[in-house]
Amino acid sequence: MSHEPKVLDHEYDGIQEYDNPTPGWWHAIFWATILFSIPYFVIYEMNPEVPTIQDTLEATRTAELRKQFAEIGELTLDEATILRFADDPKWLAVGASMFRSRCASCHGQQGEGGSVGPNMTDHHYKNVKVAMDLAKVIQNGAAGGAMPAWGHQLSTNEVVMLSSFLVAQRGKNLPGPRPAEGEVIPPFGPAK
Amino acid sequence: MSEAHVSRALSTVSAGEGGGVTGAVMERFVYDDAIVRKFLTATMVWGLVAFLVGLLIAVQLAWPAANLGFEYTSFGRLRPLHTNAAIFAFAGNAIFAAVYYSTQRLCKARMWSDRLSALHFWGWQAIIVSAALTLPLGITQGKEYAELEWPIDLAIAVVWLGFFGTNFFMTLVHRRERHMYVALWFYIATIVTVTVLHVFNSLVVPAGLFKSYSVYAGVQDAFMQWWYGHNAVAFFLTTPFLGLMYYFMPKAAGRPVFSYRLSILHFWSLVFIYIWAGPHHLHYTALPSWASTLGMLFSVMLWMPSWGGGINGLLTLRGAWHKLRDDPVLKFFVAGVTFYMMSTFEGPMLSVKSVNALSHYTDWTIAHVHSGALGWNGLMTFGMMYWLLPRLFQTRLWSTKLAEYHFWAATLGILLYIIPIYFGGITQGLMWRAFDEVGQLKYPDFVETVMRLMPYYWIRVVGGSIFILGALLGAVNFFMTWRSRPAVYEEVVHEAPRLSRSYPEATPPPTRLTGNVEFGKRLEVWITMWWHRVWERRPIKFTVFVVIAVAVASLFEIIPMFLIRSNVPTIESVRPYTPLELAGRDIYVAEGCYNCHSQMIRPIYAEVKRYGEYSKPGEFVYDHPFQWGSRRIGPDLAREGGRQSNAWHALHFEDPRQVTENSTMPAYPWLLGQDLDFASIQSRVRAMAMLGVPYGEAVKDGVAERMARAQAAEIAASIAAQGGKPGLEGKKVTALIAYMQRLGRDATNPAPAEGGAP
Repeated sequence: MSHEPKVLDHEYDGIQEYDNPTPGWWHAIFWATILFSIPYFVIYEMNPEVPTIQDTLEATRTAELRKQFAEIGELTLDEATILRFADDPKWLAVGASMFRSRCASCHGQQGEGGSVGPNMTDHHYKNVKVAMDLAKVIQNGAAGGAMPAWGHQLSTNEVVMLSSFLVAQRGKNLPGPRPAEGEVIPPFGPAK
Repeated sequence: MSEAHVSRALSTVSAGEGGGVTGAVMERFVYDDAIVRKFLTATMVWGLVAFLVGLLIAVQLAWPAANLGFEYTSFGRLRPLHTNAAIFAFAGNAIFAAVYYSTQRLCKARMWSDRLSALHFWGWQAIIVSAALTLPLGITQGKEYAELEWPIDLAIAVVWLGFFGTNFFMTLVHRRERHMYVALWFYIATIVTVTVLHVFNSLVVPAGLFKSYSVYAGVQDAFMQWWYGHNAVAFFLTTPFLGLMYYFMPKAAGRPVFSYRLSILHFWSLVFIYIWAGPHHLHYTALPSWASTLGMLFSVMLWMPSWGGGINGLLTLRGAWHKLRDDPVLKFFVAGVTFYMMSTFEGPMLSVKSVNALSHYTDWTIAHVHSGALGWNGLMTFGMMYWLLPRLFQTRLWSTKLAEYHFWAATLGILLYIIPIYFGGITQGLMWRAFDEVGQLKYPDFVETVMRLMPYYWIRVVGGSIFILGALLGAVNFFMTWRSRPAVYEEVVHEAPRLSRSYPEATPPPTRLTGNVEFGKRLEVWITMWWHRVWERRPIKFTVFVVIAVAVASLFEIIPMFLIRSNVPTIESVRPYTPLELAGRDIYVAEGCYNCHSQMIRPIYAEVKRYGEYSKPGEFVYDHPFQWGSRRIGPDLAREGGRQSNAWHALHFEDPRQVTENSTMPAYPWLLGQDLDFASIQSRVRAMAMLGVPYGEAVKDGVAERMARAQAAEIAASIAAQGGKPGLEGKKVTALIAYMQRLGRDATNPAPAEGGAP
């Protein structure tokens, strides 16, 4: 600003105002945001071809499911399947992660048991005689609701992964806060 | 300075623009500074309260034992106290001090009614005290920054519009200055818009003196709440502080305001655009997408209107920057406006959906609001305080050096507060969406993502403490300055002529264009904005225009939100809460659970993976009020129903660390000890039925209570059977567990308990 700008001929309690023009960049950005908004609204809210966030989610879900389960497909929930995946470190990692998000608040991070849920790493079990019973308890719950039913929230593959993880945790005998519960049952499936 | 006032007022008689004043009767008047002294004192006192409560809850986040074991001091009850105190007590009283001081001088008139001024002051303080009493007692409407129950809401409406508004507008009407200065425009916008927001967001059906239900439910309630919540930031924390800035900053700098035309442009664009932006608080929620997109776009458009104020403030200091070295007042103002410009850039950025997908529910938002609240509102308030103290108490400021220390403590404190919380927020947001190599959540255990924040939380505590230390220095300076006041305040008599009725109508300036079409010439004249000068001497007309700008913008969103049925597709299986669940929901609201837990799963893969199927609009049709929350200090609870056993919940409420070692949730042992008030359930059910919730038989005398007792007995029995504490059937915890177990089940669980097959 080379020369003093014009001061307007009014004042309020001693406050004066310059007659400065508004900065050009201010107008430019303001108009740019307005011009950005119109096509944005048209494209995202008026064009049915543009996928919604829900569409995107569905696509991701399908893709992830395919990516994760492509090599194994839709599993059948039975004793043999559960035992088969209990030996597979890659799939056990999936089960471990699911266990930590859904089961750990009662059964501990590794299945060592908590103040509410029994230790899943010893040889004592309640409501379980064979590996398939693990899946049944997961799906239907047990002990009058103390163990919630997860059937409506988990897919068959997920139930398999969780059950296999529990089979694999058996015998690690991690120390937990609760005493052993239930009875000692024979080893799962054919001797490994 | 008083002499200068009089002479300047006199000079207007002869030198005022246009004629019409010659021969006018001179009037003598005295400004009411006593009321400003009162409001400024209240600002300082409530500021300290708000800051200290904030510090306490900040410590609680890092160290849950700081909940002190009392129900009244648990996080969920104190957080609303902190936000309400900071906004309505600290910033509120600061606004009133600024308005009462500057309006009188800008209008050359004493406030219209001393009685209304006094009623306003004492009424507002009574409201604050009642807030400070009711919120820790768990008396709340459960909507953020609108928690106060309906009797207090009524008092707010009366004090705000009836006392403050009337007093202000009547002062405008009786002004002796022909034109209204820009600060007054912002005060007008503040008063009318806050009234509209407060009234429409607070519409409730009472279910007793201390309990009410929002007339809106679910999606619509969420929309109204954030229309209110966002515009509370706009018209309570922005426009009045811009008015404050426009008066006190040129005063302190002794320089003319940078650009009158910029004032006009950014004022009207701000008032019109701000109103639309509310839905950006609800991106990716069950709010219809068109509303959320409008919210984002108007937020982006809001960037320059907001910055207009910042530019006008900072550029006013051109030619006065050297004064900054010795003047703490200007330091506060410059830093305050700088924080304002940072926040108003960050706001639009956070409104962009893809950014919001990461930032929403994290501490990023907390850092953002504190850069605004402490940086902009706090520093502007303290700058004004240091400018006013010597003038109000008619003495010298006790210590300029101490004010300097206050400034540096405040600035350092804010930075030390916000920077770690930015880191923490972004870290947590990234952890929530991280996947491992097998396509599972990398941090499935929510507590793990909370633990990662602990170092940041502690640094925040240090930063906040330094800010408070600065405020304490301010309080000492305030007190010592007050002590050196004169025995009797001098009351300066001012003189100014009454405004004459007739005033020559302004005529458009001649166009500077030659050889152009007529339209071009007219446009050229129009953009000189000469016509605005006409508006500035018509307060009523000006106010009507503001109301139109605000109302039009609001109605464009509100009308479709309420009228288009497809906004909330019905879900057949969604049923009203049982009477016991409703009572449990009321406990959830009273304990302020929404301050830490959201109930809104966004359609984002990481979120669906962690919490289950995303939330649908139809799931919330009986939620008066909605409880979607805005921050996940704990995990989302939208699909909590059925995830844990009743016994687990009982144990968890008694002390969360019994089941989750590192949990930072407060313990709620009193929920297991206190009796549930079964008798009040009937009136709660009836109030809900009045809102159209189909309760059928349950509204009949005694039915709701009987149903509630039966369900409570069932839950208590199951807790005992599952190895939990026996004998809980009459206790509050059974109601809350009933509600927990219901959350999110209706929509995803259409066939109830069919053997549990997938």
